[in-house]
Amino acid sequence: MSTSNTTIYINAAQNVESQSEDVYVKDIGSLACSDEHVLAKVKAIKLHHFNEGEPKRQVISLLKVIQEIERICPGASVESIGEPDVLLEYIDVNKHKGPVQMIKLIFVAMISFFGTAFTIMAFHNDIGINDVFSKVYEMVMGQPGDGYGILELAYSVGLAAGIIVFFNHIGGRRITKDPTPIEVEMRIYEEDVNKALIATADREGKTIDVQ
Amino acid sequence: MLIRQILLGIIGVSSGLIVSAGVFTVLISVGLIPRFAGKMHVARKIFVLEEMVVFGTLFGGFFSVFSDWGKIGEFVRGHALFGQGATDGVWNLAGTVFLLIFGVFAGIFVGCLALAIAEMLNTIPVFARRIGFRHGLGIAILAVAIGKLVGSLLYFTQQVYLYGG
Repeated sequence: MSTSNTTIYINAAQNVESQSEDVYVKDIGSLACSDEHVLAKVKAIKLHHFNEGEPKRQVISLLKVIQEIERICPGASVESIGEPDVLLEYIDVNKHKGPVQMIKLIFVAMISFFGTAFTIMAFHNDIGINDVFSKVYEMVMGQPGDGYGILELAYSVGLAAGIIVFFNHIGGRRITKDPTPIEVEMRIYEEDVNKALIATADREGKTIDVQ
Repeated sequence: MLIRQILLGIIGVSSGLIVSAGVFTVLISVGLIPRFAGKMHVARKIFVLEEMVVFGTLFGGFFSVFSDWGKIGEFVRGHALFGQGATDGVWNLAGTVFLLIFGVFAGIFVGCLALAIAEMLNTIPVFARRIGFRHGLGIAILAVAIGKLVGSLLYFTQQVYLYGG
């Protein structure tokens, strides 16, 4: 079977999380080829093995992948339409189940709860919100208020409602199908971190690359 | 004498310019109004929203400086605009409704502003990544919202403002 004149397209992802120690070409992105035998052969090429004690992160240059493919399927041409470097991460999923996860969640929820309660109290003290609200109350009602009434209650409810509506989380469910602003921020941050890791690995010479 | 008045006038106008620049810069750099408009899909009417921001600021600014001109409650009660007996009851109701609206929307704005500034500083993604937080982000945000609610209520009912700076 001749493998010349076939073109293999590879769309590599920027970041790949692998749950097993072996990483094959099929794990780093999607592949397309008109010849199914070639496609199957390429997908099964092993790129990297995570040994015990080695760092759980590795950057591999797509050039190396192309070199491997051409070694196995001589004459085939490879087109890359994705990322030029792939960050491989070995994730042990089992480490993230169970009671430890629940404890971490409770820890963070308590920080968020007490922290923001304290912050909003300090913020109110700082801005002298009581003066503003009593003045508004007096202006509107014509009589002086007694420190806490409908205005303060409505304001407090508004605080919570605003966060829940515009930051789109009620418990774990969502209100619309858009990614929430926090999720967008997290993805952007993740991309920045990946780019930084890839650049660092390149500078330190730790990328798996052609010689 | 006149020269001092003119000087005061210049100082006033300059301070007003700088203060308004400061206030609007925070709003713009945080991108708060665009987020509100985008989430509710009313981005086409962005000019209306801009006008609202300007009028709201002018309204609040005017009545906080010239509060004597804003004493509508006294005016209504004093002149018994709805008839001698009914004015109190009607105005109590109308006033309560207005305060309710004012409070809810002011609260929504402040809550979102606080969280949007935190988001601009990337606190939540950095925090989540450091402690290896994979699920349950929604619970944390819910905790933040409830925390603000409880903190604010406690602040007003326990009159913490009496002990403040």
